[in-house]
Amino acid sequence: MSMVTVEHLHKVFGRFTAVKDATFSIEKGEIVGFLGPNGAGKTTTMKMLTGYLPPTAGTASIAGHDIIDQPLEARRHLGYMPENVPLYEDMRVLQYLEYRARLKGICGKSVRQQVGWVVDRCGLEPKRKNLIRTLSKGYRQRVGLADALLGDPDLLILDEPTNGLDPNQIRQIRELIRSLAEDHTVILSTHILSEVEMICNKVIIIDQGQIKANDTPTNLTRGLRAAGRVSIEFKGDLDVVVKELEAYEPVKKVIVEEPLPGGWHHVIVRAEPGTDTREKAAAIIAAHQFPMRHIYRHIPSLEDVFVEMTRKD
Amino acid sequence: MAENANTSITRTRSWFYTLRTIFLREFRSFLGTPFGWVILGCAIAMQGFWLQTALQIMTKATGESIMFYMLDNVNFWFFFIFIFPLITMRSLAEEESHGTMEGLLTAPVTTTQIVLGKYFASLLFYIILWLPMLLYPAMSDLGNLYTSIRYDVVPEGRIDYTPADWYGPLSILFISGVFFIALGILCSALTRSQIIAGIVCTCAIIIYYFMGRVPELWGEFPAAPAFHYMSISEQIGSFTRGLLDTRPVVLYVSLAVLMLAVTTRIVDYRRWHR
Repeated sequence: MSMVTVEHLHKVFGRFTAVKDATFSIEKGEIVGFLGPNGAGKTTTMKMLTGYLPPTAGTASIAGHDIIDQPLEARRHLGYMPENVPLYEDMRVLQYLEYRARLKGICGKSVRQQVGWVVDRCGLEPKRKNLIRTLSKGYRQRVGLADALLGDPDLLILDEPTNGLDPNQIRQIRELIRSLAEDHTVILSTHILSEVEMICNKVIIIDQGQIKANDTPTNLTRGLRAAGRVSIEFKGDLDVVVKELEAYEPVKKVIVEEPLPGGWHHVIVRAEPGTDTREKAAAIIAAHQFPMRHIYRHIPSLEDVFVEMTRKD
Repeated sequence: MAENANTSITRTRSWFYTLRTIFLREFRSFLGTPFGWVILGCAIAMQGFWLQTALQIMTKATGESIMFYMLDNVNFWFFFIFIFPLITMRSLAEEESHGTMEGLLTAPVTTTQIVLGKYFASLLFYIILWLPMLLYPAMSDLGNLYTSIRYDVVPEGRIDYTPADWYGPLSILFISGVFFIALGILCSALTRSQIIAGIVCTCAIIIYYFMGRVPELWGEFPAAPAFHYMSISEQIGSFTRGLLDTRPVVLYVSLAVLMLAVTTRIVDYRRWHR
């Protein structure tokens, strides 16, 4: 059984359609990165999954519980960290987490035990008695994450969990999410693509309310335009080399870049995705005994996928 | 560190446990912050002011109980009309404007539990505001004792009271509070701005108060009994004279239930039309 099933989810605000006919499912144990430009509908989709925003049409279920027909049951399986982490400013960290634990139906000795566990896990120990008002952005973020972890929910929905953190904190949170992945399903949204490449085993790209891609990062980068691109720097007769390169079968186009200082030419070879033209290119240049100092095959990143899927042209 | 004893988490699905959790947090937000203590301080100052006014009046007029003079007084209405918006304007509006409503509504909690938790916390705080007045009978006794020792029993200086002088007015203050607090919670659900919630609530209570005085201005006309029935000033007048009446109880409890039901619908509506 899928942890999350989303069927034809649709959300309209007035005349603005925020999410258009979204359908996807997430299996247990997956870490899903939710990507998209600002205003693409990431947060809206997440808020609908948590049951905070009701969908205009369509439905979704969490651990087999429909978010509309059995909202309380669905929410019992869910830990949610909203964007910007709204908190009660006048409460202390421990007090707040104990309140949240009780709100989630945890009772008796488990309240202390659970709060102790999340405080430990999110590194809140030094600030546990502080007023939330006095916490820095990083610690607020951790309180939000600790809140989501309370009661050990099956599914974690984290809206920009590393937003506003410094690189060390980002690394800590990333480690934390990765360690959670063993026995949790995680959906997270972020703008940091390298982060998604590092921790997610599935990516959903959403743009203008529509799901553009839903696959593993490896599959996404495979068929990409940027995939076969090779950049070369060499000295010698530019026209001859370009002509010979263009004659080679998988090459689609050779782009001549601005010449580099010292008489070095810089060309970019665009070829069919999944081909490697380095060997042939090197052989062509070597045949003329031209000096070459750099040949590099572009490894497509998620950033390329993101740009290709979401750019407007 | 990664070992979380998942299997041993004790969970409850009790409806009242969740209600109690929301109630306690809300109640602590009154007494755990300066907000509640400032209101309590103002209330005690006002009560002292009414007592002083009542004692002044009693040197000239007699025939009514001290509580009658305390409450049948313009000072009292200034307090009574503004205290409800002060107590309730934060409850749902602040939750909405700080975004913490999102955390509440994504936890396994129903709208009814949220509204009732907030309502009962505000009502309890309202009751606490009147507790200092329970000291007044004891203070009267002390005063009477002092007068009798100092002046060898001077009848005019005595404050005579019966228990009904206190529980009559305090019970109508409680009964009407049941409704006015619910009205305040409703106003707080209408908007994300505390100020607007406060203004709307004040306005509603003032209108309600003057509805009760319509027969004084228009004289007795066929619909006048309805206005008498809802007149908070007449009710306070009769309760302070010791006339305990069940009609206001029915009126205010049913109005409160209506207000809270509407509030629940509003919170749900705002969520569906966000």
